[in-house]
Amino acid sequence: MADDILAALRGVVGPSNLLTGVELSPYVLEGRTPMAAAFPGSVEEVSAVLTLANDASVPVTPWGGGTAMSVGAPPTRSGIVLGLRRMNRLLEHEPGDLTATVQAGMTMRDFQAAVHARGQWLSLDPPDPGAATIGGVLSANASGARRHLYGTARDLLIGVTIVCASGAIVRGGGKVVKNVAGYDLPKLFVGAFGTLGVIVEATVKLRPKPEVETLVAARFESLKDCGLAVCAVMGSDLIPSAIDLLDGEAAAAIGLPGERPALVVGFDGLAEQVEWQRAELARLCAELGGDDLRDLPAETWARLSVAAPRALTDPVAVMRLSVLPARVTEVIERAGATARGLGLRAAFSAHAGVGSITGALARGRDAVDAVVSTLRDWRDAARAGGGHAAVEAAPLAVKELVSVWDQPGAAIRIMRRIKTQLDPKGILNPGRFVGGL
Amino acid sequence: MPPHATEHATLGPPARALELHGLSVEGVNQCVHCGLCLAYCPTFSELGTEMDSPRGRILLIKSLAEGRIALTDSTVEHLSLCLDCRACETVCPAGVPYGRLIEAAKAEIEHQRPGSLVRRAFRWVNFGLLLSRPRLLSLMAASLRVYQISGFRRLVRGSGLLKLLPGALAAWEALLPDMPPASARAPLPPVMPAEGERRARVALLTGCIQQVVFGADNRATAAVLVKNGYEVVVPQDQGCCGALNAHGGDHARALTLARQTIDAFEGARADAVVVNTSGCGAHMKGYAYLLKDDPAYASRAARFVKSVRDVSEYLAREPLRGPLRPVPMTVTYHDPCHVVHGQKIRTEPRRLLAQIPGLRVVDLAESDWCCGSAGIYNLTQPEMAGRLLERKTRHVLATGAEAVVTANPGCILQIAQGLRARGSSVRVLHIVEVLNRAYGG
Amino acid sequence: MTGERKQTLRRELEAIVGRGAVLSDPEELLVYESDGLTLFRALADFVVFPRSTEHVAAIVKLADREKLPFVARGAGTGLSGGCLPSEGGLVISLMRMNRILEIDYDNQLAVVEPGLVNLHLSWAVGPRGYYYAPDPSSQQACTIGGNIANNSGGPHTLKYGVTANHVLGLEVVLPDGEVAWLGGRTRDPNGYDLAGVFVGSEGTFGIATKIVVRILKKPQAVQTVLAVFDEVTHASDAVSAVIARGLVPAAMEMIDQLTIQAVEDAFGCGYPRDAAAALLIEVDGLAAGMASQLERIVAACRECGARDVRAAKDEAERQLLWKGRKSAFGSYGRVSPAYMVMDGVIPRTRLPYVLDRVNAIVRTHGLRVGNVFHAGDGNLHPNILYDPRIPGEEARVLAAGAEIMKVCAEVGGSISGEHGIGLEKADFMPFIFSEADLELMRRLKEAFNPGGLCNPGKIFPTKKSCVEVGPVAYRPHAIEEKGLAQRF
Repeated sequence: MADDILAALRGVVGPSNLLTGVELSPYVLEGRTPMAAAFPGSVEEVSAVLTLANDASVPVTPWGGGTAMSVGAPPTRSGIVLGLRRMNRLLEHEPGDLTATVQAGMTMRDFQAAVHARGQWLSLDPPDPGAATIGGVLSANASGARRHLYGTARDLLIGVTIVCASGAIVRGGGKVVKNVAGYDLPKLFVGAFGTLGVIVEATVKLRPKPEVETLVAARFESLKDCGLAVCAVMGSDLIPSAIDLLDGEAAAAIGLPGERPALVVGFDGLAEQVEWQRAELARLCAELGGDDLRDLPAETWARLSVAAPRALTDPVAVMRLSVLPARVTEVIERAGATARGLGLRAAFSAHAGVGSITGALARGRDAVDAVVSTLRDWRDAARAGGGHAAVEAAPLAVKELVSVWDQPGAAIRIMRRIKTQLDPKGILNPGRFVGGL
Repeated sequence: MPPHATEHATLGPPARALELHGLSVEGVNQCVHCGLCLAYCPTFSELGTEMDSPRGRILLIKSLAEGRIALTDSTVEHLSLCLDCRACETVCPAGVPYGRLIEAAKAEIEHQRPGSLVRRAFRWVNFGLLLSRPRLLSLMAASLRVYQISGFRRLVRGSGLLKLLPGALAAWEALLPDMPPASARAPLPPVMPAEGERRARVALLTGCIQQVVFGADNRATAAVLVKNGYEVVVPQDQGCCGALNAHGGDHARALTLARQTIDAFEGARADAVVVNTSGCGAHMKGYAYLLKDDPAYASRAARFVKSVRDVSEYLAREPLRGPLRPVPMTVTYHDPCHVVHGQKIRTEPRRLLAQIPGLRVVDLAESDWCCGSAGIYNLTQPEMAGRLLERKTRHVLATGAEAVVTANPGCILQIAQGLRARGSSVRVLHIVEVLNRAYGG
Repeated sequence: MTGERKQTLRRELEAIVGRGAVLSDPEELLVYESDGLTLFRALADFVVFPRSTEHVAAIVKLADREKLPFVARGAGTGLSGGCLPSEGGLVISLMRMNRILEIDYDNQLAVVEPGLVNLHLSWAVGPRGYYYAPDPSSQQACTIGGNIANNSGGPHTLKYGVTANHVLGLEVVLPDGEVAWLGGRTRDPNGYDLAGVFVGSEGTFGIATKIVVRILKKPQAVQTVLAVFDEVTHASDAVSAVIARGLVPAAMEMIDQLTIQAVEDAFGCGYPRDAAAALLIEVDGLAAGMASQLERIVAACRECGARDVRAAKDEAERQLLWKGRKSAFGSYGRVSPAYMVMDGVIPRTRLPYVLDRVNAIVRTHGLRVGNVFHAGDGNLHPNILYDPRIPGEEARVLAAGAEIMKVCAEVGGSISGEHGIGLEKADFMPFIFSEADLELMRRLKEAFNPGGLCNPGKIFPTKKSCVEVGPVAYRPHAIEEKGLAQRF
């Protein structure tokens, strides 16, 4: 049967776009090798691949740049990798409308370059833009420091084209910036990790490129002081595009000397706006004991989201904690203390204004137990901070003991029903998402 | 399960003009059902039921006029619960003449459902007898004063006798202000010359109940006008303006009283007719509409209306004449409905107060919300009136002011009673009283 | 419904919510027969007033058991018939659940009940320098629960987004009466973004009983510019010219001559009566740079032929200009006994073309139209004026409306930007969605609302025949044919 499917897939995408055997090594996921990787070149081909898979009840894993493949529970069955890298064109960009429609396989970097050329940008800055694709970023709900002001994928995606498990091609949303006709399908597919359908095209809202952009760091003696500064900035007249908080380790990873926590604040807009805000920030920080105010180079932006894992030479696990903004420092302090108590090094960075913490854990001498205990405690810390936590990366042995996703509560009932309605045979990324979806 | 079928009453041109009790309610067609009025309606805010909102009542009135529904108990109840505060008119972008609509509806209710014998007798005594006969009213006041100061009231209140009265009458008893002595109820002189350079000649409406209960405010009004250079005349043959009748659905007597009022004031040949009671002022400004179909009075009414001014509105045209003495007090201002909504006078009283040295004016939350007095509403709907009064006194006490300044006797009685019931010593003053103090009065 | 069954149900409902919280008199039900769109009406069997989540859950469980359709209602200011009991049953009024449960300034959020009036939240947090950003024009009366149902926008969505961008989490009573939290107080969803999907589901996924919303710091500075044009196309051009200068104003609203005259009659807001169109452009944010943004806006407007461009000189003038804009719909009552508001969205670069088409279509049908809309978003609101007492006029309004929606669809737009589909536009969904698109939406509805009792008859077309090309003649809505609702 597998051979029949392979032949059929080859017929759909062409022999050069179907990988099998040893060619599949880049697509091995948590130790599992897929039966094939197909790279369709059109929406219709995606549809044909899914129809085939659905008929045969073969699992399908949509694959963009592969940058977020570590996220999720380990796959339970081997199936087909559905690669979208060939669908990498910008379909439409009307600067006057501040919108663009793009195929899912275009990388963030290529897309941004194309719209930059006409004075605009997509205000979303996920890590690894050179590899991450639009479809992948949307599916993983990836974001960066600028989410503080500009929100996440859900706030920017206005239309999607989806290929359903059945192969049906469906559009949701539209091409206009404001639209309430029908259900908000774009929101359903953002962050669904490909479990409900495959995003093949996306229409997004753009913004004019700001004239000036700057990133400023200030240093504090303690995390607590740094946290107070975050609160002061949030309560001020400033309109920062980013408010990040880094512990001493993470601060070092973005090139700041001395093992002290850092507050990193981004501003954009007209030159006079940025200038005034920088001065106001300096004033606020000075009042709260901040010092060593310095401008950071532009490339630091991209490093902010990954500062915590990069701070460690050998990170073994990464966890994302989503908590109330005012609880960020308290959660980091507790999480750090737990790791130290178990003899593990840890580093933390946070998009503090929105309460999104990334904690990274270094490999310890004892392989699993300390890591598991630490991650469990971090999850408890996130809950105590009013939110929840998800394991973004960890060895299989750890994932077997620590649930990748947090408990979604009573809502899981609806999530299951949605999954059953949209993917009755359970072929899309089965078992990898919340609650085993 | 199909819902109740309804008729297509509005399809096709209307067979006849939309009327209730002979009064046009064509204004219902101006309502586009946008609902912007809802959150500003005190009864809707309290109950959350749309029959008790302006939009809902307009639909009820429209449906009544179209014959789509009958005047059932529940319809009567919801229409009667309207305060006629006209807050909805202030926010209505479509300009629905709500006050007129609800008055027509109330007239229809009175016509079709005059109520029990006791209620009818009560109305007859009030509307038919007392209000239109100043002398009788005065006599009544004198007897009330006896009742209040003789100790008989204490006896009655202690006896539990009040519990035997219908709710409205009991409420009435509680609300009754202390009747001033005969000296304060004495009529004002017919003419009072202006002090200093004369600015104009004004005629003062002394009112029916007002003169009996709040004679002091009339005196203060005249004094402040005189200090500001106005010659004040008080037409001696004036009676009730008919506002209470109109609001209570007694349209026929309202017409008669309007004609009598015009007759009484035309002779005064004044530049303005100054009024210090909100319901009267708002009602008199509506005489032109009220009498539009009366050939003998239509044009006279139109002329008369142009001269009617609320006392704050009139005084605020010019800066107050000095010298003004300090009035060292913290006060807050409550907008009477028929001043702020009925006559759209909002900034004038505040501008006047701001001129008084030493007076600190603090903002009152929901200052333009009805206090529940609403003419005789506190008598006819004591429960809702009580809820609104409770809301009002809560806001007043939150300000920390020593006194509430307002511009209408009904509000003064109501709010004072609410504060009294809470054991508060905060006073309630008519704005002319405060102004008069600044003139040493 | 038999009298006996009605009596029994009434008793059961009263056992849940208490006496005085259940309506069933015909005259009382009458006032609940329509929302802000009077074109449709339908009568409920009961209107019920819960005061708590437990009340709502118990009512919904009863409805589920008795197979009674139910629909939640806020202030009833909606403009698509979305809260009508189109199949009878229960109207669940949330007006007695109107408390602010919590304000958390540190985390810039508030927890409110669904019956809270939108503007009242801004009033509550205003003294501390905060506000709730979504500002539909009916914000003085509409409720946050209603905003959730319709994913309401408003003038300031151009910069600040719509309701969905400001909702973090919801406690909902699902259509089977079970209670669940969708989302919460933190930003990132845990699982599918059900809160995001629930917002804008027009009350077909359940009833929100607690809502966590973001509150924002008030901007340091606000400037509002009124630009006056003698040609509508010049005003349309100016909208794109402002965007082309790299500016994202907080709001950019257009108001045409007919509308200007109506609002001037209503409140005397200071719009010039003889202008063909005016743009109300607001910029907010930092005080620094405000002047240069204003300069750019003024230059863009002048370049496009503005006759006059001026900034409001103080807060009072600014408020008055906005009052005119926000009261525009209601003020049509001064020039016409009824109007139908359209809610199409188009790419903003197509504004000049579409406005021309709209005016031509309405003229062809012998009707008048007033335009007042969110020009920056391309969200049109043609308001077709008519007199329901004139035979045949309503049918022409509906036909013109359908043509306008078709034009919006043709230029790549949408048939609703903020009012929702409701009853009104259900049959026009195929203008912009394929059968496969609709099928996926049906499946999503099936997941939340498998019994179909929660707000039935909305959003989904009842016929597949309206994809034919050319003007759509007036025909009765399917629910009308079933005798379940009437137009008037």
